[in-house]
Amino acid sequence: MAEDRARIERELDRFLAEDRSSRRRFLGRGAGAAFLASGLASVLTACGIDGTAAISPAQLAKEAASVHHPKTKIGDWVFANWPLYMDKSVIKEFDRRYGGTCKYVEEINDNSDFFGKVRQQLAAGQPIGRDIVVLTDYMAAKWIRAGYATPIDKRNVPNAKNIVSNLKTIAYDPKRDFTLPYQSGAVGLGYNRKETGRDLKSLKEFFNPEWRGRVTMLNEAYDSAGAVMLMEGKNPSTAKLDDMLAAIEKLREQRDKGQFRKFTGNDYTTDLAKGNVAVALVYSGDMVQLQSDNPDVKFVYAEEGSMLFTDNLMMPERVARPYAAETMLNYLYEPEVAAKLCAYVNYLSPVDGIRPILERTDPEIASNELIFPPDEVRAKLHAYPPLTVAEEQAMYAAMTEVTGN
Amino acid sequence: MGLSLRQRLLPLWFAGPALLWLVVFFAAPLVNQLSVSLMSGNSEVGYDLTWSFSVYSDALSSYGAEFARSVVFAGAATLIDLIIAFPLAYFIAYKAGRFQAFWLLMVVMPFFVSQVMRTAAWKLLINDNGFLVGTLRDIGLVSADGRLDATSGAVILGISYNFLPFMVLPLFATLQRIDRRLIEAATDLGCSRFTAFRKVTVPLAIPGIFAGSLLVFIPAAGDFINARILGSPNTTMIGNVIQNKFITVLDYPTAAALSFILMTAILILIAVFGRLIGTKTLTEAAV
Repeated sequence: MAEDRARIERELDRFLAEDRSSRRRFLGRGAGAAFLASGLASVLTACGIDGTAAISPAQLAKEAASVHHPKTKIGDWVFANWPLYMDKSVIKEFDRRYGGTCKYVEEINDNSDFFGKVRQQLAAGQPIGRDIVVLTDYMAAKWIRAGYATPIDKRNVPNAKNIVSNLKTIAYDPKRDFTLPYQSGAVGLGYNRKETGRDLKSLKEFFNPEWRGRVTMLNEAYDSAGAVMLMEGKNPSTAKLDDMLAAIEKLREQRDKGQFRKFTGNDYTTDLAKGNVAVALVYSGDMVQLQSDNPDVKFVYAEEGSMLFTDNLMMPERVARPYAAETMLNYLYEPEVAAKLCAYVNYLSPVDGIRPILERTDPEIASNELIFPPDEVRAKLHAYPPLTVAEEQAMYAAMTEVTGN
Repeated sequence: MGLSLRQRLLPLWFAGPALLWLVVFFAAPLVNQLSVSLMSGNSEVGYDLTWSFSVYSDALSSYGAEFARSVVFAGAATLIDLIIAFPLAYFIAYKAGRFQAFWLLMVVMPFFVSQVMRTAAWKLLINDNGFLVGTLRDIGLVSADGRLDATSGAVILGISYNFLPFMVLPLFATLQRIDRRLIEAATDLGCSRFTAFRKVTVPLAIPGIFAGSLLVFIPAAGDFINARILGSPNTTMIGNVIQNKFITVLDYPTAAALSFILMTAILILIAVFGRLIGTKTLTEAAV
């Protein structure tokens, strides 16, 4: 009995603490209510709700070309990141080496919720009190288009040359004027070998009636609809809205048959480890940890390919200490620092040349295919397609109809 | 008559703080929400008031299933809570003796833990390979390859569990207030103890039943946490839809319209329910 209780407590801890996004999601609900209330209060004063109009690429490029952030003292500055997404000794070492004090806050639990928190200030052109924020591709794109990001003065970030070749350019920021990748993760096929009884390798397993009611996919439309497109042999990176909507419609058909147990954030880990769920669409970084706790849990890069998401370092508009932020960007792109970070967070590092370092310092990490995918896998990693704000809204509207979350 | 203007305004002064509270935190948001529901646009160009009432009929026709599910789930949970809470409240009111305070504390105790935590704990209890589901399978209540997790039953269970104290407390308050001599009189006049319970105790407890049912049903109908944690994509409630529309899709007009429809539906259901069980006014329940 006592043992059971201890186990339940452990599971609860895991459920609420270990996986990044289960907390992200839950915290989000409370914040959602507050956001709703503040949103309503704000529109009371005006007759209508302001939109976020897009700025043209040409204008953004012009802004990026003229950026100049002179060297200053580092001073006190703020780095906002996701929970469990940083080896804190990296921050301490940075303070020691460059002076100043980095206030490191783990306050981003969900892209949309964080945006909701600072949106009013950004829209009003006020500083948001953070010098670096870490946002996932689609949210980073949204900030750039809305003019909520400050361009990076590349003279202060010479190490940016260490970026891996497949991330050098991305649709929403072709010259990396506003963003530098922080970590990437692949969206792959996770399964519980004990429950499936055999090894799986295809995304088609998500629609296999054998697993009816024991499948989870991700809430994130880009990830789940992208997986459907890969399953059908289409390229999700060049998908148009109609392609995404067609893929979401396929998800709806399967949902109606009772195929899915749930659509999740990172909160699939408990169900998968416990065997409630046999097959799950999962993030590679979560699986490194989960596998070490439970050898039955397997991860494969599906043979059809995998979606790739990237979280990006960026500076908000009216950033107070751009030089401090850029110095940190430069520091994080030093291969030694990136290697240390990679060994801690277990995601795909965007920095070239860290593998030889890890082979020396942490051979187990260096040989882990989840962290260093083989070349044939790397070739089949697909970034999110570029959609406009309105298209994205239409896609999410369709997706939430299916997920119900 | 002889009252000065000042004296006549006095009650208004006393009501002032409460009125102000209601205006700022209830009436104004309500009016605002109504205006938001009649706007149109998207998150890029913004939303403007266009008096487009069609959002209401669209919302109703698109989310009828979720509305129905919310009412059924909340209704079932209310009924389950009533069945559990009545004997419990009866016991605490009449049989607990000097342990009354202790039992009341036990009822309220779960509130000291966050609702999300408690609900997540249920998810562990009802997991497919757990003790509970194993036992239910053995006795045939769940089929061999069946499950409890991510079903309608799990969502109803979660709601019932989370809102049980809201049923127990008003029932307890009402039962405790009943004049026990009335029951004595009934038995003296030849009623069996059961008949006395049926004809005296239950009717006198109706205000408590009504208050408890409201306190459970209203939040349960708009709940999204239980469906989110214990449900599946096939058990979505209207609370989940509203939450999504506001936070993920940024479709404020539809979200506001759905909230309004939910509110109206609840008011109508309460009125009908009140009539059915014979409560004349809400204030009767509040004593």
